[in-house]
Amino acid sequence: MHVTLSVWQALLIAIWVALVESRILGFATLTMRFSPLMTGMMVGIIMGDLKSAMIVTAAIQLVYMGFVAPGGALPAEPAIATAIAVPVALLGHMSPQGAIAIAVPVGLLGSYLYQFRFFLNTFALKPMDKFAAEGNARGLRLSIMGIPTIISFLLFIPLIFIALYFGAPVISGVVSNITHGTVIHVLNSVGGGLAALGIAVIMQVIGKQKLLPFFFLAYFMSVAFAKLQINMTIYAIFGTIFAILYVMFTSNRASDKA
Amino acid sequence: MSEINQAAQSDVESQTDEPKRIPQPDKITNKDLMKSWFGWWWANEVNHTFDRMLAPAFCFGLIPALKKLYKDHDELAKAFQRHLLFFNTQATWGGGTLTGVTISLEEARAKAMANGEQPISEDMINNTKVGLMGPLAGIGDSIDSGTVQYIFIAIFLPFAQKGNFLGALLPFLCFAIATFTYGYYFTKLGYSLGRAAAKEIMTGGRMAGIIDGLGVLGLYMMGILAGQYINIKSYFKFTINDKTFDIQQILNTILPGILPLTAVLLLYLYFQKQGLKITRGLLYLTGALILLSIFYII
Repeated sequence: MHVTLSVWQALLIAIWVALVESRILGFATLTMRFSPLMTGMMVGIIMGDLKSAMIVTAAIQLVYMGFVAPGGALPAEPAIATAIAVPVALLGHMSPQGAIAIAVPVGLLGSYLYQFRFFLNTFALKPMDKFAAEGNARGLRLSIMGIPTIISFLLFIPLIFIALYFGAPVISGVVSNITHGTVIHVLNSVGGGLAALGIAVIMQVIGKQKLLPFFFLAYFMSVAFAKLQINMTIYAIFGTIFAILYVMFTSNRASDKA
Repeated sequence: MSEINQAAQSDVESQTDEPKRIPQPDKITNKDLMKSWFGWWWANEVNHTFDRMLAPAFCFGLIPALKKLYKDHDELAKAFQRHLLFFNTQATWGGGTLTGVTISLEEARAKAMANGEQPISEDMINNTKVGLMGPLAGIGDSIDSGTVQYIFIAIFLPFAQKGNFLGALLPFLCFAIATFTYGYYFTKLGYSLGRAAAKEIMTGGRMAGIIDGLGVLGLYMMGILAGQYINIKSYFKFTINDKTFDIQQILNTILPGILPLTAVLLLYLYFQKQGLKITRGLLYLTGALILLSIFYII
């Protein structure tokens, strides 16, 4: 099976993936990430076979139908999966089903890449905080948009290019070998634990120690009711009710004294 | 770095907000709301990190509005800093609405400071954002990425199956135009709702009660987020005399969810003692997580 692209084709597809995954094209890239369709179309244009590319992409879309990312984490990256699977399918004259078999493991690896991006973005925070403290709007804008974009391009372009140029099946083999390795375990653990920081910062910013019991109440409610999969809106309604009750009772006490 | 930390710390300390005179802010127009909404929409996920989430994008959107409101350099820097802390929500329902609400609150704060009145406190602004971001995200995620997106995909998928590129282009364009349009509507809605609320707060004399109430809601939502987002569990197992001890199972019998809670509380206490040194907190936490996970303790 002949599975190579020209250097230019591989590079253009890699740049497209970097544009989508860096999110530099705005919020609407959400649907470019969640859905394989736009990536499939671009691959079709780059490879000069739009019709077959769309047919293969439509089959991949059915696999990823209904994908949503609560809190921003997607269990797979359909766009990356498509960027690898569609060229392989077109060059190898594979069936759409064969393309799906390649897409699924690559998509899984893609989700680690996307999360690794969150980690690398941390490097943009230091200059960002510096410019904010200086009240430098220009520098702040640049550090918020420029640095993460460069990071994403350096991360995605070489990887996707190598994967395409040297053959996607190799990549899907590598994926299944390392998904159980220590590297992935460490990445998962760090990714799973880092949210603690942002939450601790906000608790500090809210700054009312006497109200901390409400944090514990909520925490143990969410742990205890985890299996019930209670919707965020319901929790927010609970929180609002607690807030109203708190204000009601404390203001009553104040007016009693007066 | 020490400069940032000092600034961040003074941010936390100056919660009493002694009135300070600043120049009169410029009027916020629909054009400014569009600029801020577009800024948030564009930057949305670009600078996504684990510890700040989408705060940089939120701040990016507010920059033009804040520049019109705070002609005082120090106040502008403080406003930039408070919107970089931690923020995570959905783009249109959450981010659009909160962009509008936040601009209206910042406007009320800047006006009060210019007139020498008691301004809306930074806490108030922070707690409003934090209290509302979770619930709005819950609504927005299920509507935008869960429903609207797939309605368009489902309508046009037959085109793609026949090999027509419109099956890809049309769902994307429809989704982009629809979400951009109603997100801007939410921004304007949030702005007018926030203005009404700000007026009520300023004249009603119930500021302390409202700040406490928002503090309750904010801390409550943080508790929920901590329970749902932080994923730390122990993989440590050892065997003595053929009996295997699974640490996570033992922890579950003592107190489920103890590890994520410990992580948050340690960081909270660290900030309490050392001031809000976010960057160092991040380094320590990452180091600890890497060390513990390399040895499969977590």
